[in-house]
Amino acid sequence: MSSTENIIDYKKKELPPIFGIFGFGLFGIGLVLSILAYLSEPVRSAYNNVILLEFLSSIGIGSLFLIALEYVVGAVWSTPFRRVFEILSSVLLILPLVAIPVYLHAHDIFHWTHLDVVAADEILKEKSPYLNMTFFTIRIIAYFVIWILFHLLITRNSKKQDVTKDIKLTKLNTKLSAIFLPLFAITLTFSSIDWLMSLEPHWFSTIFGVYYFAGTFLAAIAAGTYLVIWLNEKGLLVKGIGKDHYYSLGALLFGFINFWAYIAFSQYLLIWYANLPEETVWFLQRWNDSWMYFSIFFVVIHFLVPYFALLSQPSKMNPKTLKFMSVWIILAHFFDLYWIVMPTFSREGFVFGWIEIGFLLLGLGIVIVVFNLKAKNQNLIAIGDPRLKRGIDFRL
Amino acid sequence: MSSDSLKYLEDISVIEGRPSLRSIDDVISKPLDTKPDKKYYIALAITLSMMGIGGIALIFSLYYGTGMWGNNNPVGWGLPIVNFVFWVGIGHAGTLISAILFLLRQKWRNGIARFAEGMTIFAVMTAGIFPAIHTGRPWLDGYLFPYPNQHGLWVNFNSPLLWDVFAVSTYFTVSFIFWYVGLIPDFAILRDRTKNKIKKTIYSITSLGWRGSNRHWQHYEMVYLVLAGFATPLVLSVHTIVSFDFAVSILPGWHTTIFPPYFVAGAVFSGFAMVQNVLIFIRKIFNFEHIITLDTLEKMNKVILLTGMLVGYAYGMEFFMAWYSGVQVEQFTFVNRAFGPYAWAYWIMVSCNVIFPQLFWFKKIRRTIPLMFVIGVFVNVGMWFERFVITVTSLSRDYLPSSWAYYTPTITDFAILIGSFGFFFTFLLLFTKTLPVVSMAEVKAVTYGAQPTHKDH
Amino acid sequence: MDEKILYGYTGLFDTPDEIIEAANKTAESKFKKYDVHTPYPVHGMDDAMKLKPSRLPYVALVVGLSAMFGMLGFMYWISTVDYPVIVGGKPFFSFPAWVPVLFEITVLSASIATVVAMIAIFFKFPNISHPLHDTEFMKSVTSDKYGISIDVTDDENVEEAKAFLESIGAKNVTAIYWDNDEANFKNSVLQPKFLALLLVLVIGVSGATYFTLNKLMFMAPFNWMREQAKYIPQEKSTFFSDEFAMRNPVAGTVQRGLLPYKFTKKPEESAALINPLEVTKPNLALGKKKYDIYCSPCHGYFAEGDSRMRGQFPNPPSLHSEKVRNWSDGRIFNVLTDGQNVMPSYAYQLTRNERWAVILYVRALQRSLNAKESDLK
Repeated sequence: MSSTENIIDYKKKELPPIFGIFGFGLFGIGLVLSILAYLSEPVRSAYNNVILLEFLSSIGIGSLFLIALEYVVGAVWSTPFRRVFEILSSVLLILPLVAIPVYLHAHDIFHWTHLDVVAADEILKEKSPYLNMTFFTIRIIAYFVIWILFHLLITRNSKKQDVTKDIKLTKLNTKLSAIFLPLFAITLTFSSIDWLMSLEPHWFSTIFGVYYFAGTFLAAIAAGTYLVIWLNEKGLLVKGIGKDHYYSLGALLFGFINFWAYIAFSQYLLIWYANLPEETVWFLQRWNDSWMYFSIFFVVIHFLVPYFALLSQPSKMNPKTLKFMSVWIILAHFFDLYWIVMPTFSREGFVFGWIEIGFLLLGLGIVIVVFNLKAKNQNLIAIGDPRLKRGIDFRL
Repeated sequence: MSSDSLKYLEDISVIEGRPSLRSIDDVISKPLDTKPDKKYYIALAITLSMMGIGGIALIFSLYYGTGMWGNNNPVGWGLPIVNFVFWVGIGHAGTLISAILFLLRQKWRNGIARFAEGMTIFAVMTAGIFPAIHTGRPWLDGYLFPYPNQHGLWVNFNSPLLWDVFAVSTYFTVSFIFWYVGLIPDFAILRDRTKNKIKKTIYSITSLGWRGSNRHWQHYEMVYLVLAGFATPLVLSVHTIVSFDFAVSILPGWHTTIFPPYFVAGAVFSGFAMVQNVLIFIRKIFNFEHIITLDTLEKMNKVILLTGMLVGYAYGMEFFMAWYSGVQVEQFTFVNRAFGPYAWAYWIMVSCNVIFPQLFWFKKIRRTIPLMFVIGVFVNVGMWFERFVITVTSLSRDYLPSSWAYYTPTITDFAILIGSFGFFFTFLLLFTKTLPVVSMAEVKAVTYGAQPTHKDH
Repeated sequence: MDEKILYGYTGLFDTPDEIIEAANKTAESKFKKYDVHTPYPVHGMDDAMKLKPSRLPYVALVVGLSAMFGMLGFMYWISTVDYPVIVGGKPFFSFPAWVPVLFEITVLSASIATVVAMIAIFFKFPNISHPLHDTEFMKSVTSDKYGISIDVTDDENVEEAKAFLESIGAKNVTAIYWDNDEANFKNSVLQPKFLALLLVLVIGVSGATYFTLNKLMFMAPFNWMREQAKYIPQEKSTFFSDEFAMRNPVAGTVQRGLLPYKFTKKPEESAALINPLEVTKPNLALGKKKYDIYCSPCHGYFAEGDSRMRGQFPNPPSLHSEKVRNWSDGRIFNVLTDGQNVMPSYAYQLTRNERWAVILYVRALQRSLNAKESDLK
C-alpha cells in the first residue's frame, strides 16, 4: 500500500497567546531579577549565569542532537514532532549572548584565570596550555559556530522541504547529521569541561562529558515531550498523534533517567572506592555541611521520584503524568547543574535565594520566548518529510 | 516513482519476499530434520579438537598449578582475565539485539534474536570458565557464594570480583530464561510437526504444553517485555561491573571514571562483530538469506561503526584527561602504551578498533559481505588486544620502576584461549542442529500480511 | 466402546483480519469459556477479546523490591554484626559498594519469579495432556492458521457452540474429545515410576556427597596439599643412609640471633669487653633485682661475702677487694658467663643484658662502700 502523496491534514494555527505571555512574563521577571542580582552580588550571579548557560545549552544542543539521531537511524515515530525539536534548538542562537556576562566575569569564576595562582601551582601550570583565556576563547567560539552552523543548515533544509517535498533534502540532512554527531560528542564534552569541570581546576573525571550528555539528553527530551503533548492537546499538531507516540517519548525519558543515574553512580562509586584525595575533594565538597542534605535531596528528585513515577507502562502513556514529569525533569536538570556549579561558589553550605530563582525563571522564560518567536513563521510539523505519514500512523 | 521515495514511504519489509507461514516453519526446521552432512562433521571435529587442546592445557594447569601460566609479579592478571572480559563482551551483543532492540521496536531483530541470544549464553558460559579456573583450585569455587560455611566467613561484598560473581551468574540465568521463554512457542511448533516419537516426547516436555492460546500470549508478551526491560540494564550492569574490576583500583590506566560506559560500548562493539561474522555463515549454510537479510547485516555494521566511535571517544578522553590531570604516572602510562614494550599490541588495537571500522562509513562496504566479514574479524582481534593492553601495560609498568617486568603468555595460556573458542563454537554447532536458530514465531509476526490491517486507535 | 466425553469445538480461519473479527464476535457471544489460538501474537487481539491487562509486572515489582531489601538486610548483618572485617579502610556499612550486588539480586529474583509465576500460576504449565494437543487443529494453529476453540464441558447447549462457529465463518469445525486415559489419569505421588526415580536420585545424591566429602577431599589435588614432597620432622628418608630425614646441625652451629661468647676460658682477654648499658635508674633497678635473686645467696646483699648458705657451700670473698674493684666490667662479665673456681656459670640464669645490669649494680655497691667525700653532695 504505497502512496506518493502524503495527505497530511495539517492546518497551520497560531500558538495560544497565553504561551507567549507566560513566557514573556517569566523572561521579564527573570531578567529584572538577574540584573538586580548582578548589581548586588556579581560573583554569585556569574556562577548562576554559568548554570543558565549550560541549562540553555542542554536544551538547545540536546534538541539538535535528537534531530540528528533521528535522521541517522531513520527513526519514523518521531518524525511528526521533529519540527518541535528544531524550533527548540533555536535556543542555540541565544547562547552567545548568555555567554557574554560569564566571559566578562571569568576572572571571578575560574580559578585558573588568576595567572599568579597558576604560576605558583605546579598542577595548574601544567594545565595552562589548555586552561588559558586565549584557547578558552577560541574554543567557545568554535563550539558556538559549529552548533549554530549545523542548526541553521539542518533546520533550513527541513523548512525548505515543507515547500518542495524533495526527498534529496532528507538525504542531505542525514549526511549532515552523520557528520554532526561526532562533532557533537567532541564539542559537548569539551564545552562541559570548559564551563563546568574547570570550575574546580584541580579535579578531573573522564566520564564528565558523558554525565553532562545524559543530563542534556534528558532536558531536551523532557522539554520536547512537554511541548509535543501540550501542542497536541491544543490541536496544533496533527490528528493521529496519540498514546503510542507518547509512550515512546515516556520510554525514552524513563530510559535516560536510568542512564543518568548509572553514569552518576559510576562516577561516584569509582571515586569513593579508590579514595584518592585529588578526586574525592569534589564529592567531599558536596557532602560538606548543608550540602549533604542537598545532595540527598538531589538523588531523590533526580532519580527516585522520576524512576517510580515513570516505571509502569500506563504512566508512560498518560499525557498528564508525562507533562508533569517533563517539567519535573527539566527542573531536576537545573538542580543537577546547580549541584555541579554552586559548591565551588559557596563552600560552606548551600545558598539558594531569589538570585537562583531569578536565573531559573530567566532560563525557562528564554526557552519559551524563543520557541514562541520561532514558531510564528513556520509549520509545527515537518509536512514535507517523506516519513511523516508513517510516523503519524505509527502504532506500538 | 523512484525506489528512494518508496524506501521512505513504506515500512521496509524485514523479511524479504512474501514467504508463507508454513514455509518459514519448513525452512527453519530443516536443519533439525536432516542428518548432519560431512561439512558439519568436519567443522565439529575442528572445534572439538580446539576444545581438546584447551582441555589438556587445563588439566595440566590444574594438576601442576598456575605456574604453568605466564602470570608473574607484578603482572598478576594475565590472559585468564583478558579472555574472561573478551568473552563476556561477546555475549553482550546477543542481549542487546534481543532485549534493547525489542524495547526500541526494531523489527529487524526478529530474524536474528534467537541466534544472538544463543551466542550470548554460550559466550557467557565460555567466559565463566575463566573465573572458575583462574585460582588453580576450581573445586573451591563454592566459596564464591555467600553460604554459611565451616569458617564462619562470608564473601567480601566490597570486592568487584565478587560483584562479578553475582553479575555473571545473573546474566547467565536471565539470558537463559529469556532464551527459553522465546523457545516455548517454537518447541510447540516442532512438537506438532515431528513424526519421530522420541523427539515428540522431548518437544512436548520442553514446550510445557503450549497451545498458542491468546490468553497465554497476553501474559507471554508482558513477561517478554518485563524480561527485556530487566535484561537491558542487566547487560549494561554486567560489563560495568567487569570494568569495576579495574577501575576501582588506583593503578594508572585503570582508575578512570569513563571505564563503565567505555567497556559497555566496547562489549557491544566486539559482540556485534562476532555475531555479524557468524551470521554470515549461518544465513549462507541454512539458506536463511531472506530472513537474515543484507539490510540486517548493514544495520549491524552501522552499530559496529557507532560503538567503534564510542570506543575511540573513550580512548581520546582517557588520553586527554591523563594530560589534563597533570598526574605524571598517568601521563607516563599512556606514553608507555604507545611507545613502550607493548607498543606492538597497542597499535594493533588502535588500527583494528578505530581505523578499520571507519570503512563502514561507506555504504558499498557496509553491504559487501567479504569486506564486512574481514572488518568484523579485525574488530574482534582489536578488542581482544584492547583488554590485553589495558590489563598488561598498566601492571607491567606501574608506580615503582624497580617492580617493572615483562609478561609473556605461555603456550598453556594460548592453548586455553584456543580451547575457549573451541568450546564456544562447539556449542554453537550443536545448537544449529538441535534447536531452531531463528525464532519461527517471531519471524512470522513480522512477515508481510502477518498483522491485521484495520486497526482503530 | 468408550463413551468419549466432549471437550468442545474448534474452527479455523485464514487471515489475521478474519480472526480479529471472529474474536470480536465470540467475545460478545454467550460463550465465556473460549480461546483464540494463533501461531504468533496478533496485534489487537487482547482488545478484541476484552482481556484485562496482565498483572505479572506487579509480581516483578514486589519480588524485586523484597529481594533487594532482603539482600540489603543480609549484607548489613554480615558486615556489621556477624563478622565485620575492615576492607580498604572503608566503614563496615559501605553502601555504595553494595549497590551492584543489590541490583543484580533484584533483577535475578524479579526475572525468575515473573517467569515462574507465568508458567506455574498463570498458565498452569506444564500441562501436556490438554484435549487440544495432538489434534489437527493444534497442528494448524501452531503453524499457519488461526483458530477459536470453545470449551463446552459441563455445558448443556453443546450444539449451539458448533452452530455459532459455523455462523462466524470458521472452517473445519471439529469436535474435540477428552482422551479417556488422560482424563482419568490420577496424578499420584505414589506412582511406581516416580518412586523409582526418587530412589535413584536419593542413592545418587547421597553417594556422590559421601564420596566427595569423605573420599575425594582427601585425594590430591583436592586435599589442601596435605601430602607434599618436602620432609617434615621425624619423617623417614630414602635419601640418607641412616634413613633419618632430620640431620644434625653442622659443628659450630649457633642459636639463631645469638653470637657465641668469644672469651670462654680466656679471662684476661675478656677484660676488653665494654658494658653496653648506661647507668640509668631502670638498669640499676634491673641489676639490683637480679643480684638479689641470683647473687645474694652466696655473695650477700652488699657483696660482702656474707653468704646465707651456712657453710653448705664455700663463702666467696668480698667483692669490695682492691682486686675486684680494679677489674673491668668485661672481666666480671667473664666470671658470670664462664664461672670461676667453685662458682658456676650463670649464663643460663641471666641473659647477657641482665648480667651487665648486675655488674652495674655491683659497681654501685662497690662505690657505696668506698665512697669519697665528693660523692656526698
